[in-house]
Amino acid sequence: MTQVANEASRAFSVSIQASDFDLRVEQDVLTRGRGDIGAVVSFTGLVRDFNQRPDVVALTLEHYPGMTERSLERLITEARERFPLTGVRIIHRVGRLEPGDNIVLVLVASAHRQAAFAGCDFLMDHLKSRAPFWKKEHTATGDYWVRERSSDREALERWHPESTVTAEGEAVSPLVEQHKADDSLAEASGEERQSALATPKFSGES
Amino acid sequence: MSLTHLNARGEAHMVDVADKQETRREARASARVSMLPATLALLAEGGLPKGDVLATARIAGIQAAKRTHELIPLCHALMLSKVTVDFTLDSAKSCVEIQVLCRLNGRTGVEMEALTAASVAALTLYDMCKAVDKGIVIGDIQLETKTGGKSGDWQRPEEAAAVEQTSVEPSRTEPSRTEPSPAATAEPIEATAGQAAPAARGDATVRVLFLAELRERLDLDSLALNLTTLSQATVGGLKRTLALRDPQLEALNDTRVLCAVNQDMVRDDHPLNAGDEVAFFPPVTGG
Repeated sequence: MTQVANEASRAFSVSIQASDFDLRVEQDVLTRGRGDIGAVVSFTGLVRDFNQRPDVVALTLEHYPGMTERSLERLITEARERFPLTGVRIIHRVGRLEPGDNIVLVLVASAHRQAAFAGCDFLMDHLKSRAPFWKKEHTATGDYWVRERSSDREALERWHPESTVTAEGEAVSPLVEQHKADDSLAEASGEERQSALATPKFSGES
Repeated sequence: MSLTHLNARGEAHMVDVADKQETRREARASARVSMLPATLALLAEGGLPKGDVLATARIAGIQAAKRTHELIPLCHALMLSKVTVDFTLDSAKSCVEIQVLCRLNGRTGVEMEALTAASVAALTLYDMCKAVDKGIVIGDIQLETKTGGKSGDWQRPEEAAAVEQTSVEPSRTEPSRTEPSPAATAEPIEATAGQAAPAARGDATVRVLFLAELRERLDLDSLALNLTTLSQATVGGLKRTLALRDPQLEALNDTRVLCAVNQDMVRDDHPLNAGDEVAFFPPVTGG
């Protein structure tokens, strides 16, 4: 579990864990004592029993300890630069999971619903293509590592219309995009970030 | 089979070793300290409040080996000729593996010294890290091998090692029982072992990790490489050198294979420095 040790940023946290999570508990923790939150949007990802093959009995999620946490924290920082968010909680499970199990929770709070919806969408699209997690699916007919989907790549690209992606660099470029700005969540001042916000770049379906 | 520390009346006694022949004796023991990934990352960066954790734990282990007879009631005081305590940081399993070697020419074995050193090194790791992670678990304190003496040589059976490799594939660590993987046989490349992270900082080595599908395809999870063996100290230079040493590592040149240095995504022109952690992995599929 990585929590930025700063009371102001307690509302922005990331956990990588084997154990399950409880959406209601997480939302209570995120909103408790806060009068400035007007909207909370949550996304929960679950294990399907079909994917690349129709008979998935379980999957194993691997991550890169340290880097995974940092990459999620950076995504939160990027999301806060785009949207006036007042709280984010990301939980991603690792290890062996079975159909119906929770995999990931992205909980986004804001004063108003638009930013919360867009922030949650932005975070999930980026988590899918930029956070170092890997799924291995177990089926009756064997185990295999899940391949990335082009639809996830396209979902990511709609947030970055300015970046031209060559066919050759396709797999690499959105990931390599370095976050040169201060990536410490602790130092992201909410007010400054919010006042510097342009209109969300999100423009609906591409 | 009988217990040597009990006499005919079943009372504890110290075995008289005066008449035993001096032989060269060696014992290896290991322990595992499991912690949160964030704690392991702090440990690797040297960011813990009490300072250089591994150096302190190493000294603690060596001191403990020398004082084993004061702790374990019926142990003899020994003139140890060598004690080494090495650490391997295993990010896949989020733990530190401790490997101890004790050696002497003497009349009694050094297993207790090796086990005591591993235990105290593990306790010291806990003490140094507990400010940030009280849930650290110390486990798998065990003898790996012993040689010399009347009872002869002993090695931990292989199946015991296999049991612990069930979940997400772990690092190959213990140098004493690791079969060199194909990629690790080329001479300047060593499968990452006891000389891992802390030692690597002092000299010019980089640690290279292979994750997820790539690790399974290559049957290789990590290796250490001296920077001076690279034609160019960049990620691209590292890839070229690895591919020359082992043709299967040509796979790293696949444009889909991603690379992170010290946990930041980088391109092939990124420079490498001593102590860097380089990771190669396939496109990500989380969420």
